[in-house]
Amino acid sequence: MALLEVNDLKTSFRTEDGFVGAVDGVSFSIEKGQTLGIVGESGSGKSVTCLTIMGLNAARNTISSGEALWKGRNLLTMKPKELREIRGNEISMIFQDPMTSLNPVHTIGRQLEEAILLHRDVTKKVARARSLELLKAVGIPRAEQRIDDYPHQFSGGMRQRVMIAMALINDPDLLIADEPTTALDVTTQAQILSLMKRLQEDFGSAIIMITHDLGVVAEIADDVEVMYAANVVEQAEVHDLFNRPQHPYTWGLMGSLPRLEADVDRLTQIPGQPPSLLRPPSGCRFHPRCPYVMEVCKTTFPGLEPARNDPDHLQRCWLDQETKDREAAKLLAATMAEAH
Amino acid sequence: MEATQVSNGPQPTGDELLIVEDVKKHFPITRGVIFQKEVASVKAVDGVSFSVKAGETLGIVGESGCGKSTLARCVMRLLDTTDGKITFDGRDVTKLSRPAMRPIRREMTMIFQDPYASLNPRKRVGFIIGEPLEVHGLGSGPEIKKRVQELLEVVGLNPEHYNRFPHEFSGGQRQRIGVARALAVNPKLIVCDEPVSALDVSVQAQILNLLKDLQDDFGLTYIFIAHDLNVVRHISDRVMVMYLGKVAEVASRDVLYREPKHPYTGALLSAVPIANPELGRKREAIVLEGDVPSPVNPPSGCHFHPRCPRFVEGHCDVEDPPLYPFGAGHVAACHYALERWPMDANEMRRARRATAEQEPEQPLRT
Repeated sequence: MALLEVNDLKTSFRTEDGFVGAVDGVSFSIEKGQTLGIVGESGSGKSVTCLTIMGLNAARNTISSGEALWKGRNLLTMKPKELREIRGNEISMIFQDPMTSLNPVHTIGRQLEEAILLHRDVTKKVARARSLELLKAVGIPRAEQRIDDYPHQFSGGMRQRVMIAMALINDPDLLIADEPTTALDVTTQAQILSLMKRLQEDFGSAIIMITHDLGVVAEIADDVEVMYAANVVEQAEVHDLFNRPQHPYTWGLMGSLPRLEADVDRLTQIPGQPPSLLRPPSGCRFHPRCPYVMEVCKTTFPGLEPARNDPDHLQRCWLDQETKDREAAKLLAATMAEAH
Repeated sequence: MEATQVSNGPQPTGDELLIVEDVKKHFPITRGVIFQKEVASVKAVDGVSFSVKAGETLGIVGESGCGKSTLARCVMRLLDTTDGKITFDGRDVTKLSRPAMRPIRREMTMIFQDPYASLNPRKRVGFIIGEPLEVHGLGSGPEIKKRVQELLEVVGLNPEHYNRFPHEFSGGQRQRIGVARALAVNPKLIVCDEPVSALDVSVQAQILNLLKDLQDDFGLTYIFIAHDLNVVRHISDRVMVMYLGKVAEVASRDVLYREPKHPYTGALLSAVPIANPELGRKREAIVLEGDVPSPVNPPSGCHFHPRCPRFVEGHCDVEDPPLYPFGAGHVAACHYALERWPMDANEMRRARRATAEQEPEQPLRT
């Protein structure tokens, strides 16, 4: 049994202008010790997918369907009390902005201890010792003194380390990281990514890494999902995705990336803007921006089908296999041209 | 020692549009209410020299807090410099008064990072783009309208959207409005302060391509500030790396990315995630320890020494490294420059030890 199995997850928000289908039929599963990368641009539904799994959407205006089986139990139908026992304990989450997700009026030590005391029947002393241990594990210098500091006394990178310490404090089986390095500088990002890799080896947690950065995914993920306008458009093992991408949107993303390892005079750009989810385009949602658009794309929504008969590589596109293989090879040749 | 040093930065050759010499910007930290006493200062920019040739793009990279945005604002005279000299198009603009500065402001404009915050939400797009024309008295009402519609077309927006408000546009479109506004007065120099950091990758590519096209069409000169090394590499002719208010390294783009000499540049390059699982996982990043120190009280000697894998005690923490030349305008502020590239963290350390043992007094030069 997979650690987490998500089947046909749908989430829509009620707004003044009508329903916005933020996630529309997402399925994936993740095993212990694995890293799943979810890539997509803003508004593609990658964060909402995870917020739904964690039960963190405002109940008032959210409608969700499908299932998210955590060790066989559906998280979506769980009572709030049961969910609270899992959240922050078996599944924990790291948010993008470490400044707004820590409480500014409590010391970080107190916030870390709270996370333990909520889920474990231990004394404050034990909780404090455990907090200190984690702060050291994530590489906060002079942890003994800094445990009594407030969030504003830490730099961005250090705050993100505190967030990671808090997320790991109860030895979670699954860590959901929502753009954990987006707000950070490259050198700090490298520190945080290598820290997450090392902690995964030590603790054996599974990680869901949400990011818009294909580079981060290439470095850390085992499997990747590419999301566009609330749908998964491609899903594959990481090497397979980068070597044989099968969807025009994935090609566009890879082509629009300026790279250190290859010289391109002009970036391939995806024309236009991501569509509004209030009134998504008919047929394939990518068709208004797709350079390979055909008649069928405008009318019929493509299913998530195996590419090249490989059941582990799924894609949502009507193009024939021959064209896809040719375009993927062309893209790969262009980006590898100057690789050393 | 004296003989091996160079003066600050490369010598001017005559076709520079902008020459910045030893510019400093210190922000005072004061105590007290009535009798404000300066107790310390934030040395945001601390002796930076560089020049930009007409028609080229100079990229400036560095982590947050390294002073790149402050430097841009000093160049634009949005901030007054504490010390140093800025020469724009042959004129010393460092101490010009506001009225004397006004005609020069037509020749250098700026594109800002946040397309949401840098456009007035209560003004129509036509007004936002046309305002610089009005301020500089470049035409009457109908002429301005015509020019604005031309500009909208140039940056790839629909000229009929003249009467819309900023909120009716997406992030990428708003950044195009920012570009149109910067272009309105036909400037010579455009300072782009992180113009694509707030945008999604597919839209980022659109703006980068637009900036390149405009440069070809109008012969623009750019100073392009970004923290993303991939983006800077794509758009720049030359690149300057800054660390804690100082220049760490300047070189032409290809040289800087192929043969960095400063360990900080090396660490930055090795930290950039590569969108290729084979290449990315083979390589071992040089992970720098700790954070950028405070510019209020920067480390002694080389500002980078507390985080540097090649740190040599008694030299790097005592003597501030000058910009050593490495040929063809390539300069780097390091006593123990990298011999080759790529190398991993262990090689970096080993090489340093060998160099230190062989020539303990002599800074490395090629």
